Amino acid sequence: MYSTELLAQTLISGVMIGILYALMALGITFIYSIVRMINWAMGEFYMLGSYIQYVVVAYALGRNYWWLAIIISTTGTFLIGYLLEPILIKPMHARAMERRDDYATVVTIALLLMLRSLAVAIGGPYQYRPETNLPIMWVGPLPMEGARVMASVFALVALALFYLVISKTWIGLALRAAAQNRVAAQTSGVDVFRLDAVAFAIGVALAGLAGALLAPLFLVYPTNGAVTTVKGFEIIVIGGLGSIPGALIGGVLLGVVESLGAAFISSPYQNAYGFLLVLLVLLFRPYGLFGERGREA
Amino acid sequence: MSDILAARGLTKRYGGLTANDAVAMTLAAGEIRGLIGPNGAGKTTFVNIITGIERAESGEVTLHGAALTGLAPHLIAAHGLVRTFQVARVFGNLTVRENLMVPYFASASTRGTIEALARIAELLRLSTLEPLADSLAKSLSGGQRMLLQACAGFMIPDVRVHVLDEPFAGINPVVKDTLIELILKENKAGATFLIVSHEMDIIRRICPRVTVMIAGKVAAEGPLEEIARREDVVTAYLGRSLQ
Repeated sequence: MYSTELLAQTLISGVMIGILYALMALGITFIYSIVRMINWAMGEFYMLGSYIQYVVVAYALGRNYWWLAIIISTTGTFLIGYLLEPILIKPMHARAMERRDDYATVVTIALLLMLRSLAVAIGGPYQYRPETNLPIMWVGPLPMEGARVMASVFALVALALFYLVISKTWIGLALRAAAQNRVAAQTSGVDVFRLDAVAFAIGVALAGLAGALLAPLFLVYPTNGAVTTVKGFEIIVIGGLGSIPGALIGGVLLGVVESLGAAFISSPYQNAYGFLLVLLVLLFRPYGLFGERGREA
Repeated sequence: MSDILAARGLTKRYGGLTANDAVAMTLAAGEIRGLIGPNGAGKTTFVNIITGIERAESGEVTLHGAALTGLAPHLIAAHGLVRTFQVARVFGNLTVRENLMVPYFASASTRGTIEALARIAELLRLSTLEPLADSLAKSLSGGQRMLLQACAGFMIPDVRVHVLDEPFAGINPVVKDTLIELILKENKAGATFLIVSHEMDIIRRICPRVTVMIAGKVAAEGPLEEIARREDVVTAYLGRSLQ
C-alpha cells in the first residue's frame, strides 16, 4: 500500500489542486476586505469563466490557443464584475443602509440563481469540455495530466501578479488603505466606490480564472462552481476571513489533506477530509490560522 | 481678506436633540480659527457635516464659492477641505511612509512621484517621524498618530482648508509643540485652519479669532480675550473662567 512514489505524487497533486482552491478563497477574502461583504455568487463567476473558456475554444480560437482563451475568460469575468458592482453592490454603501450584510446576502444569492438559470437557458443542462493541446507531462518521475499541471502554473502566475499589484502599485496601496479604514481612506481623497468596483472585479476574475483553468478537468455545466465555492469557504474558515496568506496556505493545506485522505484512507470520502480539517481548526483556532481576533482600526 | 469657507444655516437633529441649530460660520483665507465650546455643543457634528461624514437636514457649505453640500468625503477632500479625527484614523498595517503616500496619489495629482517623495521626506523631518518612516503605523503612540494624521492631510496637493478635530487631546507636550510648529508652517505657506480644541493656552497662542459654540448654536466670535469676558460664554463653561 505505502510507497514513497505514491506519497510524492499525492503531495504534488494536492498542492496543485490546492493552489486552484486558493484562487477562489483569495477572491472571497479580497472582496470581503474591501467591499465588506460576502459574495455568495463566487461559484457562478467560476461557472461564467468556464463557459467563456468553452465558447472561445470551441467556436473561435481552437484547442491550440487554449492559453489565450484563459486570458480572455479571466478578463471577461473581470469586466462582468466591474459592470455589475455599481448596479448591485454599490447601493449597500451609497445609501446609509441599516442591514448591509442582509442586503449583500440577498443580492448575491439572487445573482447566483439568475446566472445559473441563464446558463441552463442558454447552454442547456449539458456538460461541455473545452479542449487543450496539452500532452501528459512529467513532473519529476511522475506522469500528470497536462491541463492539471498548466492550471497550477497559470494559477501561480496569477497569484504572483496579484501580489505585485497589491504591494507595488498605487492602486494596490489605495486598496490596502481602504481595507483597513474606509472612512479615513475617503477623507484622504480616495474614491472608495471606484475601489469597490475594482476589488469586486478582481475577486470575481480570480474565480473566473479558476473556472477557466479547471474546465478541461472538471467540465462545464450550470452548477460546476458549487463544489469549488464550498472549498473556497472551507479555506476561509481554515485560514481566517480577510487574510491573504491564510487563503493561500489554507488552500494548499486543504488540497494536500484531501489528496492524502483519498490516496491512503478511502477516496469516496475525499470531500469529507477537508471538513475534518475545518472542524479541527474551529476547535483550536476559531478565528482561523491567520485571522485576527479583532481588526486594527 | 476674502472668505474661503462659508457655512450657512446648518441644522442637524438626532431624534429630539438638535446638535446643530442653523450654524453659520465663515473662515477668511489664511487664518487659523479656533472652535471652542463645552462638550456636546455640536463642534464635532459641525466638522462632520462640512467634511461630508454626516449630512445636514438643511443649510449649505461653500469652499471658494463652490458648493460642497451633500458631496461624498473624497470629493470634498478633492475640493481642498480635509480633516483629522479626534481618535486618529491612520492605516495601522501600512508603514508611516505609505500612510503619507495614500492621500497624495488618491488626489490624482498631476504632479510627479519625485515631488511627492520629496514632500514626504520634508514632512517626516518636520514631524520628527523620520526614524519611524518604515514602521507600521499601528506601532505609533497616540500623539505620533495624530502627527501622522495631520501630515497625511498636508500631503494632499492644493488643500485650502484643514479642519483639525481635537488635535492636542491626550498627547505629550513635545509632540504638541511639534504639531503646533507644523500648523504654523503650513499656515505661512497659505493653508487655512479650523482647530477644534479645549486647550485654551494653545488656542490663545495660535488663533487670533475663535468661534464659540454652545448648545448647537454659534454663541460668539472674536478674539479669545474679548470672548472670555462675555457672560453667556462663561456661564456655558459652568462658571469656569476661560482665563
